[in-house]
Amino acid sequence: MALFPVTGRYIGDHIPHLVAADTDDTMDELAAMVARHSVGKKVPVPPGGPVYDVYIGGRRIDPGVTLGALGLSPMAWVDVVPRGAEAP
Amino acid sequence: MLLNRDDWYETSRDLDWTFSYVDPNEVFPASWSGAGDVPADAWQDWEEPFRVSYRDYVRIQREKEGGVKAVGNALSRAGVFEKLDPAHLASAHLHLGGTCMVEQMAITMQSRFCRFAPTPKWRNLGVFGMLDETRHAQLDLRFAHELLKVDPRFDWTLKAFHTNEWGIRAVKAFFDDIMLNADCVEAALAVSLTVEHGFTNMQFVALAADAMAAGDINWSNLLSSIQTDEARHAQQGFPTLAVLMEHDPERAQQAIDVAFWRSTRLFQTLTGPAMDYYTPLEQRKMSFKEFMLEWIVNHHERILEDYGLKKPWYWDDFLRSLETAHHSMHLGMWWYRPTLFFKPNAGVSPAEREWLREKYPTWERDFGYIWDQIIANVQAGDVPATLPETLPVLCNVTHLPIGGACAPHELAEHKSEYKGKVYRFDSHISKWCFDVDPERYADHPTVVDRFLAGDIQPMDLPGALAWMGITPDVMGDDVYDYAWAREYVNA
Ligand SMILES: [Fe+2]
Ligand SMILES: [Fe+2]
Repeated sequence: MALFPVTGRYIGDHIPHLVAADTDDTMDELAAMVARHSVGKKVPVPPGGPVYDVYIGGRRIDPGVTLGALGLSPMAWVDVVPRGAEAP
Repeated sequence: MLLNRDDWYETSRDLDWTFSYVDPNEVFPASWSGAGDVPADAWQDWEEPFRVSYRDYVRIQREKEGGVKAVGNALSRAGVFEKLDPAHLASAHLHLGGTCMVEQMAITMQSRFCRFAPTPKWRNLGVFGMLDETRHAQLDLRFAHELLKVDPRFDWTLKAFHTNEWGIRAVKAFFDDIMLNADCVEAALAVSLTVEHGFTNMQFVALAADAMAAGDINWSNLLSSIQTDEARHAQQGFPTLAVLMEHDPERAQQAIDVAFWRSTRLFQTLTGPAMDYYTPLEQRKMSFKEFMLEWIVNHHERILEDYGLKKPWYWDDFLRSLETAHHSMHLGMWWYRPTLFFKPNAGVSPAEREWLREKYPTWERDFGYIWDQIIANVQAGDVPATLPETLPVLCNVTHLPIGGACAPHELAEHKSEYKGKVYRFDSHISKWCFDVDPERYADHPTVVDRFLAGDIQPMDLPGALAWMGITPDVMGDDVYDYAWAREYVNA
């Protein structure tokens, strides 16, 4: 495991945040960390509850995949949307 | 017999000599003069309309100083300051903290004109510019010093540039570059022509009008007095541009296009929130967008046309950003209020919001839902949910938050790779600024770069606040203690 910062943007928030993630984090865990700064704070809680999808480079990443398995560079741009919402 | 000024002016101003013992390139190195490929005799066409003599200059400046001092004395006796709206005060804190040391840096820039400009006419005008900027820095400091006893935030007039506060670092990044490090030609195009002649009209004329309406006559008067100097020494840009258009028009186009966008971003940060959110509603004269359109856009288009330059390639995107960027910057600054050295007004009470909707047809769609969520949390008594828990991500050109240049639905990733490192930008325009001249920006880490490098300890928000020099006596908070949000209860 290793600290792995990303640029986390929750769709609808006006800025992305610095999110201190870890290479062992799954996409579900990463999504929750990104959403934490926006959902219920700057955008409403989604109707389907706090479950999210992660998109990187326009591609949806499987929820169980870990951040470290993706071969990204630090501060990579990560989009988070409510689960099942259309791609950003 | 005493000569008239016209009889001796040119002889005095244009005095120059031919170097024989030293190489002229050593006396006026191109790295400072910026003469580049422009032939030496081309500078003989450099002409300024002011024809100021030192005697006239001193007489006029003395009168201006007397005026500022008299108004200040009268008002401090009348206790006017104590009656000002606290939201308006944020404009004064922001302006003084953000620009006093820019005036100080401008002294160095004008001194460079005095010494290294490629024609004696320009060197002569630079002397007056240098004295002007000395006056501006000192006026700001004197004004702020008088108010220290009632408000510790005025200490940031002097202190701000000696801290790592993020917004100040953004201002400093721009002016370090175009004032302290630029050669004379670039400084004349970026500062004299673009910032001083274009944008300070905005900062000084508009803020002076708003300050007057808010009853802050002393500050309004000071801003107007400074602006009379700016209007004169900003003229150093035009003859420089005229010479460049003859000999190196591409360099002029790029320097001005880069400076125009970087200035826009800073004014969207400093002036936009001050005009559209901090100035009390009933005292607002014009919206930031209206002012930009009337004073900056028309004016810049005319200059470009007069001198044969093209509109910047990003012109339509720039115009679109006038609807959105300063609203996004304002929202971000308010959200990150503990990182500010002044108390921002949210400025979105029901009445203020009505005004925003009227002035900005897309405001409600672009930003309304975010403020609604904030209002709901305030009403639920959950103020902590309206405060930041991590840093934003900053642009490697403007040092401003990514997302601060557009509406949320327009937010997209902009990045470049240079010498194996990834750089991130707030817009495709800032990315272009980087791509045409990466060396200029590559070695200037943002606050976030510093944070990730471990320069800021402990690695959390309190650690970052301490590193930025934010102390409890100045730390920002909502200036009206959220009264505006409670107004929605019965709405
Ligand atoms: Fe000045
Ligand atoms: Fe100036």
